[in-house]
Amino acid sequence: MSRTPLVDMIGIEKHFGGVRAVDHVSVDLYPGEVVGLLGHNGAGKSCLMKILAGAMVPNEGEIRVDGKTVHFAEPNDARAAGVETIYQTLALSDHLDAPANLFLGRELKTRFGNLDDARMLREAREVLARLNPNFKNLRDPVSSLSGGQRQVIAIARAIYFDTKILIMDEPTAALGPSETAMVADLILKLRDEGIGIFLVSHDMHDVFDLCDRVVVMNKGRVVGAHPINEVTKDDVLSLIIKGELPADWSAKNLEPTD
Amino acid sequence: MFDASRPMQGRSWKGVSFGQAQFHRLSALITLVLLIIGFGFANQAFFSVNNGLTVLLQTSVIGLLGIGMTMVIITGGIDLSVGSVLALSGVITAMSVKAGLPVAPAMLVGVVAGALCGAFNGFVITRLRIPPFVATLGMMLIARGLALQLTGARPISQLGEAFGVLGNGALFRVVEMQANGFPKVIFPGIPYPAILMFAMAIAAAYLLNRRQVGRHIYATGSNEEAARLSGVRTNRTKLFAYTMSGALAGIAGNVLMSRLVTAQPSEGVMYELDAIAAAVIGGASLSGGVGTISGTMIGAFIIGILRNGLNMAGVSAFIQQIVIGFVVIGAVWIDQVRSRKSD
Repeated sequence: MSRTPLVDMIGIEKHFGGVRAVDHVSVDLYPGEVVGLLGHNGAGKSCLMKILAGAMVPNEGEIRVDGKTVHFAEPNDARAAGVETIYQTLALSDHLDAPANLFLGRELKTRFGNLDDARMLREAREVLARLNPNFKNLRDPVSSLSGGQRQVIAIARAIYFDTKILIMDEPTAALGPSETAMVADLILKLRDEGIGIFLVSHDMHDVFDLCDRVVVMNKGRVVGAHPINEVTKDDVLSLIIKGELPADWSAKNLEPTD
Repeated sequence: MFDASRPMQGRSWKGVSFGQAQFHRLSALITLVLLIIGFGFANQAFFSVNNGLTVLLQTSVIGLLGIGMTMVIITGGIDLSVGSVLALSGVITAMSVKAGLPVAPAMLVGVVAGALCGAFNGFVITRLRIPPFVATLGMMLIARGLALQLTGARPISQLGEAFGVLGNGALFRVVEMQANGFPKVIFPGIPYPAILMFAMAIAAAYLLNRRQVGRHIYATGSNEEAARLSGVRTNRTKLFAYTMSGALAGIAGNVLMSRLVTAQPSEGVMYELDAIAAAVIGGASLSGGVGTISGTMIGAFIIGILRNGLNMAGVSAFIQQIVIGFVVIGAVWIDQVRSRKSD
């Protein structure tokens, strides 16, 4: 691909004391592409995504968005550059209601600088209804909502604003089958709108259904980056577990079909 | 929780856990009413206008401290330094007056000193990452020590009549000259300290409910990491809350010293506990994210009326301590039960 990548992370390093959580990692992401990021727990994928989300500052390396070098010192900087994140923990404030959570950190205000709760409620109702028509109890604190509803708020928050790059960390972990299907549809729809998506997942099914490419991390390093039609699930598993492809591997899509 | 169509404190809470918080505040209100009725029966004088105004006056200092404490508690922190900051602030105002500054700017200097103590707390907590309990415990000693050192542990008196206006003046005071030449007080007026407390309470409630910083205070206390990831500048938010708490302690210090027309460096010991008790009785949760100014006002009045009523009933100050001690334990116990339920 000769286009400018939407995201280009080059030589990213992050150490905690002596531990190299992310060890000289480079990944890229193009518009309208879903890249699956896989690996064991502790392989460094969440850490890498936190760096892109501005929640963590790398020790070394460069991040380019649309070809321009950026420095994300805090989550607001990443959001301003169009990077939205759905965290595995959802990052919701339990005591606040859905609209307050949806607009947390970028509240709508009236002319006098007061919170415009009426407008936030209206907007929230609209965007949440698109994702889940049964979402009615908007004024309840989110601690009293179901896992699915909480997930929907976290997703709505990431797509409501002008999103160019979406990071989804285990977006379907808390969801039932129908909601999972809804999220899958949404991912494909967002992709078709030209949004670039990093999908962190353990679910091989999701990855193979949704992703255009997979990047596998092991012990802080990238051990494989392949177009999805080049590898099988077993190949990816081998990368995740052993950190290398099976010894007799050859690109699947290039194999003679006999 | 945040209903735009309703101003300030009359918010509708429909959720489960907020139903509980609502219940908590309601039970505090009922306690308050029962106390008033009970003391009223015990002593006829309790219901007099004069006594009502005395209660207002006595509660205003706890109330002012409680407002700042509530903001800090909602962020999930605690401020143990307010009693000492109150003393330091009053002392600094008095010294400024002695140095020749007019009373109003001198009081401003005192309040700014309080705000600086609060800001220092916030700095230690957010930048040095010291837990609020320890950081403000340190400030409690620092501010008290400073107040004692600056004054040589001696009270500063002879501050002039103007210094006493804030603490002893009243609005709508009606005095009639009698035929015999002596003035007769028809209505003693609403004490300035009470007016100041209510003004601060309304301002703080507005800040917490209608402004972004208030929303962020709740978000920070609810789940700090989530708030940070959502773009809330949690450190700045906490710094704001502690600075407000310090400034309000400063205001309370000026009110108290003005009432005594003397700056007492040893004044305000253990006031922080009254303020915490007021907030907790009013439904603020020490684990953060929950609390209202209206609740804290109810809590402050429960403590104030308890003190006043027990005084009038001739109960000794020692017994009063015991009673208030049990009330604090009871309130925190209710808080614990509530947070266990909502988990």
